[in-house]
Amino acid sequence: MVPLSWYLILAAALFCIGLYGVLARRNAIAVLMGVELMMNAVIINLVAFWRYIQPTLINGQVFAVVVFAVAAAEASVGLALIISIYRRRNSVVAEDMNLLKW
Amino acid sequence: MRIEYVWLIPLPPLLSFFIIWLFTNRSKTLSHTVAIVSMAISWVLSVITFLFALTIEHFGQEVFELSVPWLPTGDTALNMGVLVDPLTAAMLFFVPLTCLLIFIYSVGYQNYGKQLDPHDAVGSPPHNGVEPMYSRFFAFLSLFAFGMLLLVVADNLLLLFVGWEIMGLCSYLLIGFWYGRNYADPNQITPRQAAVKAFMTTRVGDVAMMLGIVYLYFQTGTLSFREILYNEEVLLQLAETPSYLAGLSVAGLVGLLLFAGAVGKSAQFPLHVWLPDAMEGPTPVSAMIHAATMVSAGVYAMVRMFPLLSAGWHHGGELTAPMMAMGFIGSFTALFAATIAVAQKDVKKVLAYSTISQLGYMIAALGIGAYVAAAFHLITHAFFKALLFLGSGSVIHGVEHGMHHAPGAHEHLDPQDMFNMGGLRRKMPVTFWTFLIGGFALAGFPFITAGFWSKDEILADAFASQQIVFWVLVLSALLTAFYTMRQISLTFLGEPRTHSAEHASETTWTMTTPLVILAFFALFAGFVGVPESFPGLGEFLHNLGNFNRFHEFVGGTLLEHPEAVEFNIFPLVASIVASLGGLTLGWLVYGLNPLKQGQADPLAAPLGPIYTLLERKYFFDELYDYVFVRPAKWISEVLTYRIMDKIIIDGFLHGVARAAVVVGNFFKDELEKKTIDNPPIYLANAIQWVGKSFRVIQTGRVQNYLLIGMLVVLAFSGVYYLMLAGVLK
Amino acid sequence: MSFVLDHLVSLVVFTPLVGMVAVGLVPNGQKQALRWTAFLASLVPAGLSIALWFNYANSGGGFQFEEQAVWYQAINASYHVGVDGLAAPMILLTGLLTPLAILASFSIEDRIKPYMMLFLMLETGMFGVFAALDLMIFFLFYEIGLVPMYFLINQWGGKDRRYASFKFFVYTMAGSLGLLLSIQLIGLSSGTFDIVQLMNLWPSFKSELLPGVVSIDTIKTVAFFAFCLAFSIKIPLWPFHTWLPDAHTEAPTAGSMILAGVLLKLGAFGFLRLVLPLFPEQAHLYSPVLATLAVLAIVLGAFAAYGQSDFKRLVAYSSINHMGFVVLGIAVAAWAAGTSSEAYRESAAIAGTGAVLQMFNHGLSSAAMFFLVGVVYERVHTRDLNEIGGGIWQYAPVYGGILVFSAMSSLGLPGLNGFVSEFAVTRGAWPVFTAITAISMLGLLFTGAYILKAIQKVLHGPKNPKWAGHMPDMSTREIVAVAPLMALMLLIGVWPWWLADVINEAVKRLIG
Repeated sequence: MVPLSWYLILAAALFCIGLYGVLARRNAIAVLMGVELMMNAVIINLVAFWRYIQPTLINGQVFAVVVFAVAAAEASVGLALIISIYRRRNSVVAEDMNLLKW
Repeated sequence: MRIEYVWLIPLPPLLSFFIIWLFTNRSKTLSHTVAIVSMAISWVLSVITFLFALTIEHFGQEVFELSVPWLPTGDTALNMGVLVDPLTAAMLFFVPLTCLLIFIYSVGYQNYGKQLDPHDAVGSPPHNGVEPMYSRFFAFLSLFAFGMLLLVVADNLLLLFVGWEIMGLCSYLLIGFWYGRNYADPNQITPRQAAVKAFMTTRVGDVAMMLGIVYLYFQTGTLSFREILYNEEVLLQLAETPSYLAGLSVAGLVGLLLFAGAVGKSAQFPLHVWLPDAMEGPTPVSAMIHAATMVSAGVYAMVRMFPLLSAGWHHGGELTAPMMAMGFIGSFTALFAATIAVAQKDVKKVLAYSTISQLGYMIAALGIGAYVAAAFHLITHAFFKALLFLGSGSVIHGVEHGMHHAPGAHEHLDPQDMFNMGGLRRKMPVTFWTFLIGGFALAGFPFITAGFWSKDEILADAFASQQIVFWVLVLSALLTAFYTMRQISLTFLGEPRTHSAEHASETTWTMTTPLVILAFFALFAGFVGVPESFPGLGEFLHNLGNFNRFHEFVGGTLLEHPEAVEFNIFPLVASIVASLGGLTLGWLVYGLNPLKQGQADPLAAPLGPIYTLLERKYFFDELYDYVFVRPAKWISEVLTYRIMDKIIIDGFLHGVARAAVVVGNFFKDELEKKTIDNPPIYLANAIQWVGKSFRVIQTGRVQNYLLIGMLVVLAFSGVYYLMLAGVLK
Repeated sequence: MSFVLDHLVSLVVFTPLVGMVAVGLVPNGQKQALRWTAFLASLVPAGLSIALWFNYANSGGGFQFEEQAVWYQAINASYHVGVDGLAAPMILLTGLLTPLAILASFSIEDRIKPYMMLFLMLETGMFGVFAALDLMIFFLFYEIGLVPMYFLINQWGGKDRRYASFKFFVYTMAGSLGLLLSIQLIGLSSGTFDIVQLMNLWPSFKSELLPGVVSIDTIKTVAFFAFCLAFSIKIPLWPFHTWLPDAHTEAPTAGSMILAGVLLKLGAFGFLRLVLPLFPEQAHLYSPVLATLAVLAIVLGAFAAYGQSDFKRLVAYSSINHMGFVVLGIAVAAWAAGTSSEAYRESAAIAGTGAVLQMFNHGLSSAAMFFLVGVVYERVHTRDLNEIGGGIWQYAPVYGGILVFSAMSSLGLPGLNGFVSEFAVTRGAWPVFTAITAISMLGLLFTGAYILKAIQKVLHGPKNPKWAGHMPDMSTREIVAVAPLMALMLLIGVWPWWLADVINEAVKRLIG
């Protein structure tokens, strides 16, 4: 078997890429995509830990499925928000959504 | 003893007042019916009481009394009740009768039966129509009758005072009955001003009287007549205990205070000024209140309180202080008022001054101890004075009738001025003959008039005790007869001086019938008081069923029966000379050559300035105005309100307020703003600066927030890692 | 039913507050509903106070309908209320006058709801003072009575209302400061605030609050004078009276009715309830001064009233004049309460009875007079007697008759109520303060003068064309508002026993 650390590094790399996407992308949908990446990195992490530490227990799988569900829900809500904003302002640029500025 | 109904005697007129005020105000017929019927009921009850009282031997010892507790006073109570003793019975004989006759007279006087004239203003006397405030008049008359009857049957001094004041109120209301009346001459007193004058002048006497009542109550613990006046020990104690004023016993001081009340109510000098102006009221009012009843109330109160006033006096001994005061003021007033009456033009004013003078007689009689004589004169005077007033009202009505019915332009003259009358004996015969009888009674025409007998008894008593009082009273009698004849001549004799007098006519039966009834009494009421020692007539009447028992009956009110004075020819002769002499003199000046139109008073020229002095009533009204009225107004308007309250007291308060404002401002500016307020302000500014500085973080952009969040997580993770590694603790 | 009887006093005190809430619930714009709700709400305490009166057993004095509840245990002040022969007539008076005053207020058009609510709140304050048997409770209700009155004058009053309401409030409160101080002194020294206990305890109390610093005598003297000052301002006693003409004149009609009818009595009641029982010796020493001030109030009040040209201010000064008699009676009672000599005990009882009776009578007559002033003012919009110019009687005979009747009661005409109390006070004061009583007769003389002046300048004279069409006669509502007062005036004047007996028993107990 491949050492656990490889999966962890993979997950970390994906996470960072996703983080970069969230922090630095202009387009709001791209931000959501970054969030999805971060979620998936988490899932990889979870599955790796499950497989390598306690493969017999079902807890890891269940945890991963829950995270899937959360990711899906969050993506749909996020997209709904962005669509409603788009309908108002005809733009999805994240920088311009600063109404809560002081 | 059928005493249960005595307290009912004053009630019907009271009920009549309420019924008229609340219910029958709109109907004239109902109002006067209620008033007259109720008065008649009182009269009937009074007559029954009187007749019953007559049948009882030694009535003074077994009187009718009934009382109930009224006001709690510590552990005891003050009682109120009724009392009928011989004096009350005598009063009950004439008071309701005169009141009833005057009620009936008023029906005609207020022009009942005529239509309401639209030109007549409410609150002013009607010209020819019925009086617009007809019902109100009878309501007030009823209330007044209640007050007088209450006073008469009262068993204690306080209830007497209550009746006294209620009459004072009615006097005020009735003098000012025509409250809207104005005169062209601003110096002539209007009815409403006369009403206030009457009320205030009598009030001066009333407050003194109240002090007397209070003092007596304190000293004896009671105000009941029987307990004080019919009680040897109490009277002796009162006469011997010294009072607050040196030289006066309690009886003396109380007596003087009570007398002060009578001076006010009976218009004696110096509180006489209100009575002539009270003639502004309708004539029935003048007759009832200011001749027969209310002014007599003052004398009645003195007669009633006589045992107290004379406590310590024995017949022939030294007079007590109240008696001396009464003797002096009474006789002085009698003469003083008679002199003024000689120069008056208004028919009612002559009678007013005459009343003052006659009341002076009664007071003087009490002053010298002639108890029965005073009571006697009180009763006869009520009859003939009421008669004279009602007669004068009839005359005035007749002249007014002539004023409105004379062909051609209506004259505008004063229908009360005697110099506008004349010759009325042919136009108004009933009025003339009854007035003549009344006038002769007033003058004391010998033997056949009641006034003679009562006046003669006073003179006889005066001659026997105080000669100076006797001579003053004789002189007054002379003047009385003189001005009476003057009045009769000017009004009735000769030829009419004006068109109005020319066309005057006799008044209705409701007015003339009371005149006839009163004339009857003016002639025959005197015979009950003929002294037994009088030659011939005295014995004759005594044998005729003890007809002349007045002295014996009324004298029984006192503990000790007063002695009847022995017959003396001198005062009798003096009385006859004064009366006939005065009448003849009056006739010679005014009746022999009756005045023609426009002619002046024949007395004016020879007397000159004295005449003016008399006519202007010795300028007492003007004097009182300067000495009392104006200073009182100044004290009230300027001294008490403006100076004392507003300038001094409020000024002080405002000063305190201003000082408080100054102190407060100092604290506010110096201390508060500069010192105490500042630290919190600085703190607040600092917090605000911090806030302003930090708010730049809040850009509104989600990504920035996430970045900051991530940086902080990293920082914390680093710190945590270092702590775990043992580098940081 | 027994609940009602057991808690009658508390119910009387607090039902006006319930009424206030009821009025508060009525929607703002419904003027008639507001008025009638307030009136009906005020009838409840009226009925309860009448029930209190009829259930009061007049034998031997002492407090009845006592209620006690825990309130402020830390300082030993409880909610203690009850009535005796002094309080019962006052409660009856308050219960009677408030509905009539509310009835008189029906002509107010502006902001009826707060007006009525303030009125009912005021009523609670007044009832509470009369019923209080604990010093803190007394003070509480005493002050509660001030605030609504201030607003009533300030918001619904005449031209100078700001000055008048401010003066009234601050002046009275200045006196109350001393009152509070004294109450604290007494409470802390003796350890209790309960009036019933203090009546037995305090006069002979000797233990010191701050030993060595302040003696008990000093405390007693300070407390006594502070009490006297506070109540003298309220009564008002000359020379602390100058707030009264302004406050009465500027207050709305019903406000004046209650102010003169009841609020002034709080001061006199304070004297009788607190000063005399708690400080008998000091009261005895001070009574000649009190009597002198009383006679000054009587005489100067009468003179000042006579000098007025403002109808309402004339009636206001008449209040000073009448309350002078109350204080004279209290002075005599004070004199007797502090000695054990039998000499003038009967006179003191009569004077004390007269004083309380005068409180009741003045409540009736001044309320009637102020109401009648208001009736005229609403029609002719002026209070100046010279501007009115007379000649009103022809237009409004019913009004004229009622005015003369009420004026005669105010004047003290025998046969009506004023005379009975004035006679009793005069009789009681004569042996104790003879010269002073004699001087007070001058005041009585001028009482006649100012009453007659008012009648003449308003009613008498030829029919005044200025007021043609402006002077309708009294409406049914107005007659109903004043008729009970007139009936009582006549009843008490003719037959005062039912009222005077209750008072007499209490006064006898007061002077020992």
